[in-house]
Amino acid sequence: MSSILELQKVTAGYKSVKGFKSLIKRVEIVLREISFTVEKGERVAIIGESGSGKTTILRVILGLLKPISGKVLIYGKDLYSLPSDQRLQILRRIGYVPQDPYKSLNPVLKIKYIVGEPLEAAGVEWRYIGERIREVLKIVGLPQSILNDTAEELSGGMRQRVLIARAIIAEPEILVLDEPTSALDVSIQAQIINLLNSIYNTFKVTMITVTHDLGVAQYLADRLIILKSGKIVEEGSVDEVLRDPKSEYTKSLITSYLRITGINSLNNIKIRGQYV
Amino acid sequence: MPPSLPFIRLVHRNLRKYRFKIGLSITIAILVLSLVSQYIAPYPREGLGYVPVGEESRRLLPPSPQYLFGTDTLGRDLFSRVIMASRSAIIQAFSVVFLSLIIGLIVGVLAAYFKGLVELVLNYLTELFMAIPSIVIALFFRLTLEAGFHVVIISLVTTWWAWYARITYVYAKGVVELDYVVLAKLSGLSPAKIIMRHVVGVIIQPILVQAISDLGSALLEASGINFMGLGLPPGYPDWGVILYEGISEMGIIAFTRAPWLVFYPGLFILLTTLGFTLLADPLREDLDPRLRRRWKLWF
Amino acid sequence: MVLAVRASGISIGYIDEEEEYIVWAVRRVDLAIEEGDAFCLVGESGSGKTTFANAIAGILPPHVVTRGKLYIFDRLAIDESTWNFNGLRGRVVSYIPQNPGTSLSPFLTIEEHFYHVLRDTLRYDREKSRKAAIEALLKVGLDRGVLEDYPHELSGGMQQRVLIAIALASNAKIIVADEPTSAIDANLRASVLQLLGKLNREYRVTLLIVTHDLASTSIVCNRLAVMLAGKIVETGRTISVLRNPQHPYTKMLLDCVPLLGVKKPLKPLPGEPIQVVEDKAICPFRERCPRAIDKCVEEPPLKPVGDEESHYVKCWRLTGGESE
Ligand SMILES: Nc1ncnc2c1ncn2[C@@H]1O[C@H](COP(=O)(O)OP(=O)(O)OP(=O)(O)O)[C@@H](O)[C@H]1O
Ligand SMILES: Nc1ncnc2c1ncn2[C@@H]1O[C@H](COP(=O)(O)OP(=O)(O)OP(=O)(O)O)[C@@H](O)[C@H]1O
Ligand code: SF4
Ligand SMILES: [Mg+2]
Ligand SMILES: [Mg+2]
Repeated sequence: MSSILELQKVTAGYKSVKGFKSLIKRVEIVLREISFTVEKGERVAIIGESGSGKTTILRVILGLLKPISGKVLIYGKDLYSLPSDQRLQILRRIGYVPQDPYKSLNPVLKIKYIVGEPLEAAGVEWRYIGERIREVLKIVGLPQSILNDTAEELSGGMRQRVLIARAIIAEPEILVLDEPTSALDVSIQAQIINLLNSIYNTFKVTMITVTHDLGVAQYLADRLIILKSGKIVEEGSVDEVLRDPKSEYTKSLITSYLRITGINSLNNIKIRGQYV
Repeated sequence: MPPSLPFIRLVHRNLRKYRFKIGLSITIAILVLSLVSQYIAPYPREGLGYVPVGEESRRLLPPSPQYLFGTDTLGRDLFSRVIMASRSAIIQAFSVVFLSLIIGLIVGVLAAYFKGLVELVLNYLTELFMAIPSIVIALFFRLTLEAGFHVVIISLVTTWWAWYARITYVYAKGVVELDYVVLAKLSGLSPAKIIMRHVVGVIIQPILVQAISDLGSALLEASGINFMGLGLPPGYPDWGVILYEGISEMGIIAFTRAPWLVFYPGLFILLTTLGFTLLADPLREDLDPRLRRRWKLWF
Repeated sequence: MVLAVRASGISIGYIDEEEEYIVWAVRRVDLAIEEGDAFCLVGESGSGKTTFANAIAGILPPHVVTRGKLYIFDRLAIDESTWNFNGLRGRVVSYIPQNPGTSLSPFLTIEEHFYHVLRDTLRYDREKSRKAAIEALLKVGLDRGVLEDYPHELSGGMQQRVLIAIALASNAKIIVADEPTSAIDANLRASVLQLLGKLNREYRVTLLIVTHDLASTSIVCNRLAVMLAGKIVETGRTISVLRNPQHPYTKMLLDCVPLLGVKKPLKPLPGEPIQVVEDKAICPFRERCPRAIDKCVEEPPLKPVGDEESHYVKCWRLTGGESE
């Protein structure tokens, strides 16, 4: 089987801790029967508004939130029924960049320890890690001089690069990105988009991106999965979805997005050229 | 990679502030005094509690060049007693705060990191111990054990650790859900390392600063226990004991008849506490800019 | 034409914590915003947009030094190093903070938010502030039901609209909005921007919007200024600047915005924004400019572009400039 990741009718939610804490265990359902597959080497974007459950999908994929029902298959193995050491083995093949670069870096740790941590956890000795850290810093375009700085001294864009460096240092096969650009301003956003695509092209990873920004998604994905209140409402290639959206929700997303840039009708979209 | 590295940097940043300098000078002075007092005291034996025999005329002399701080009700040189008491002050303040900090840190972090039953049990435990007044414990130990440092230290640590457990828990709770902890868990880092690096390492600074400023309160409470005669044995060089002796012998008239008996030990307690507070204050401001004053103190 | 805001040679700097140097966030800026304009201030992070907007809103922090003059409706608000925003702040100029999630207090209902603001600025009592609140909420398309709600019961877009309504209720003539859309979904952006545009057209409020997204300015603003390292490098009517950007920096800002359905390569700006400690008279873009020439060590003047009236650019290499 060539599909690297498969979600089968995943329903998931959070235990609500309101009211009588332990007496009544209520579960707030966030995801309803989500199913999709990701092939090896594909770039997929999950689009949805705030609160639609995008981050929750990633938490399920990363083994952080056990679904109430349904299965998560990674490399054909059911993630949540594996013993914990095998699960860790699989999770090590996933690189994860969390949502908010301002909250995802330990503020008192030197950058080299942050970036090298996945290798350290895998039992690699520090003298080999150092070399690899310098390599990945070069890939993400950070100066070597920041190795001994702490994250507090870095700008948002640099923080995001550090997180990307950390995510790719163990040579993962899947890269999972949660809103990689939404905390950044547009010029930094463009840098990060280009960086991610060059990583995709060089390392042939499978890339799963979560975003609420269609404009960003068209650069970071070949296939779009549109999510609304925990359900998938549309799925298809970028060109298909943009040119011929099936669901009303997708249409409204596209029109509202276009309106910002002053274009008023769907007919004005021209799919032309190729991204470089 | 010591997690306290940022703390050293924090201290370094504040070295230039006058308040910090004054606090540091006072603290260092008391520390040095506690080390050398037995050599510089003019009457070291009396300082340790020895009552000179057959010299009734020496009792309750006011300060003079020979007895700098005067003499006490038993005729001992008060200067020797007061400066030699700095050692007991340092020992009590530091060991109470240090032990409470260690216990509280461990309990608080474990409660925040391991949720569920561990959290519940540790939190109830913390609350239970917060509710016990240390005087009661001191009384209990005084009745069952010999007098000595251990009574003061144990009875204070018994309640104090719970406060550190509480603030540690509150800080740690805000950190354990953050993404860097999640990332570390995902890459399979061992819980011990995650806790040390990503939880303790991040929250330690404000807690250490709190501990420094608590040194003063610890001294005050320890002196209180000794003042009530519950801690150290009579005659021991300790500011609380000295105050206790002066006031228990003479009653309230000590304040008018022999004010030096209360003034000098009181002054030293106050100065030492002030030293710790001045030390901690700028650090706390540095960590939380909201505490910064718009106007500056006179120094 | 009445000028709502007139800045002449204004500089704003932050005193460093150790009081050793000053970071100049805004440098010798001249700017005029006419009454009823919708004006956009665009630039990358750290270019000084927020600082300038805060100066107009009168909410500069205490560790700031100023130079030059700032007039708001012909009242001198900043005169060299002294400021006087009494009677302006909150009444004439009202401010919409950047992040709706953190600028509303979780302990107050929406009605109480209105009341606190209106009591402090206009001395309204509860009744009056309630009336004003309902009226303002109507303008932003919310009904009076939200008055009883706490902020967390509202969605991000609704919170943002509540903040706009609070700004409106004080009958301010100028509304300053700092990044009104960066904290909310792409999907909600359009509606918030359109709302601001509608308020500007129908109620003739003067708008000053701060944003880093050059492309999204066209939906609301009729005029814009591009800011770089504390200086305005290009200003003019939105259409003429977007259609015909002249400054290399403006062009590059446009190049890095993704446009839906248009497959163009994204070209990010090279280099990182600088912090200006010494206010030297050189072109602020010199180190990062692909078109820099020797002359660029001198500061270029703000020159009009061709025959397009009111479109000014600060760059030596303009058509019609000396060196081309
Ligand atoms: N740890 C949690 N505990 C309880 N509820 C949660 C938790 N995390 C998220 N939720 C709820 O789940 C729903 C979906 O959240 P999720 O974070 O997946 O949304 P999202 O699509 O990532 O949104 P955003 O764009 O704001 O990040 C929300 O209603 C949220 O309130
Ligand atoms: N409160 C402050 N204290 C000290 N320096 C500040 C402060 N606020 C801003 N600065 C400095 O002033 C410069 C301009 O900052 P400003 O916030 O005005 O930029 P901005 O264009 O709004 O950026 P952003 O898009 O990141 O909000 C920056 O170099 C910044 O470091
Ligand atoms: S003046 Fe020179 S350096 Fe500055 S923007 Fe123009 S060409 Fe570039
Ligand atoms: Mg999310
Ligand atoms: Mg800003």
